[in-house]
Formats: sequence, structure tokens, C-alpha cells
Amino acid sequence: MAVVLTLLVILAVGSAQAAPRLLIKESSFDFGFAPQNSKVSHIFWLYSTGDDTLKILKVKPG
Amino acid sequence: MEKTAIAVGDSTRLEIIFSTKKYRNKVPKSPKIQTNEGGTDKMVRISTTVTERPDSTYPVINTPYKLDMSQFTGKQVIEKRLKIANVSDEDLDITLVAFAHEYFVVSLPESVGAGETVEGEVVLRDDVLEKSFEKSFTFELSDENHSRFTIPVKRTVRNVGAGTRAAGDKGK
Repeated sequence: MAVVLTLLVILAVGSAQAAPRLLIKESSFDFGFAPQNSKVSHIFWLYSTGDDTLKILKVKPG
Repeated sequence: MEKTAIAVGDSTRLEIIFSTKKYRNKVPKSPKIQTNEGGTDKMVRISTTVTERPDSTYPVINTPYKLDMSQFTGKQVIEKRLKIANVSDEDLDITLVAFAHEYFVVSLPESVGAGETVEGEVVLRDDVLEKSFEKSFTFELSDENHSRFTIPVKRTVRNVGAGTRAAGDKGK
């Protein structure tokens, strides 16, 4: 019984720690002046720093 | 975005494209990123000062204020130049902050003297000569406000076989 309980605790701790994590080192960008009727673009880098695969589910326009 | 599943320790790029349309003045945007991380969505922030009169900005005026590198005939368009006119009374350092390095190379002078005009250049990379795209580059000045300017770079290609760069045949 004690062995089973210990195993369950270990499994529970293990699953709690295996979590995805998103890190965005540079999360803001200022374009400064830009003309009307144009498209400007910038690339942000997304880092997976957790213990599990990070899935990007959706990006919603601001 | 290159990929939607990022392995532990890996990274990916997220390109945010902002269409300035008829916006005016300072426009902040905060796209949200929903992941399997849980909790609240994370966000990135962009800010743009959309100007109606790009031909009368301060402390510099860029001519042209956007670069059209489109190619509709057999004549290759590979490079474009722009003029940066310092209309202030102080010398300004110029720092390239960001550019679409997979599409073009940007060469800018290190500084522009008070009242002077300097030239910069955008040269397309070989592997994008057959591509149509809308990208941009951003530079920052050393004035008190650290003013930034973003120059849109647009290319539309409608002819076939534009992808070969002939030596000494650079269109302007």
C-alpha cells in the first residue's frame, strides 16, 4: 500500500512538472513613423522553455 | 508562423503584419497568443505612429517613404535607394533596428549631419527575385526621442523568369 501511494505521489508530481511554457524575450516593438496605406511587419521569437511540447493554438489580432 | 508545435528548448518565429490603412497618429496593437500553457493568453505589443504626411516628418524626411520594388517586365529590379534628409539642427546617428533579412539587405549610413541628406540602399536577395512580398525595415535616430522610422518594402512580380540576376544589370 505504501509503495502504491509513493508511486502515485511520484506520478502526480511528475505530471504536474511536465508543463509547456512560452517565453517571449522581446515582446514589444515600436515601428515609429510609418506611412498610411502600407504594411509593416516584425518577427517575434517564441521559445518553448517548459518541460512539455508547447502548442500554439491560436493567434488573435489585437 | 513556421510551426505550431514547439519542442522543449526549441523556438519559432511569429510574424506580425500591421496594415496601416487610414489610421492616424499612434496606434498600439496587442495580438494575443493562445497556447496549451494554460492561464491567460500571452501577448506581444506593437506600436506604430501612422503618418498622413510622410513627406514632412521630423527630424528626417525619407524619400521615397516606401519602396516599391515591383517588377512587371523583363527588366530586373534588384535594388532601390532612398534619401534621408535631416531637417533638424543636430547631427543624427542612424541605427538599423530591424529588417526582413531573408528578403533583402539594407545599407544605411552611420549618421546624417544637420541639414544634410544621405542615401541608403536596399538590395534584394537572389532567392526572392521571383517572389511577391510586403515587408519593411526600421531604423532609429539618436535624437532626444530616439525617433524610429519604418520603410515599407513591397515587391510584386508578374513576369516569368525574373529570378536570374545578371551581372551589371541592376534596375533602379
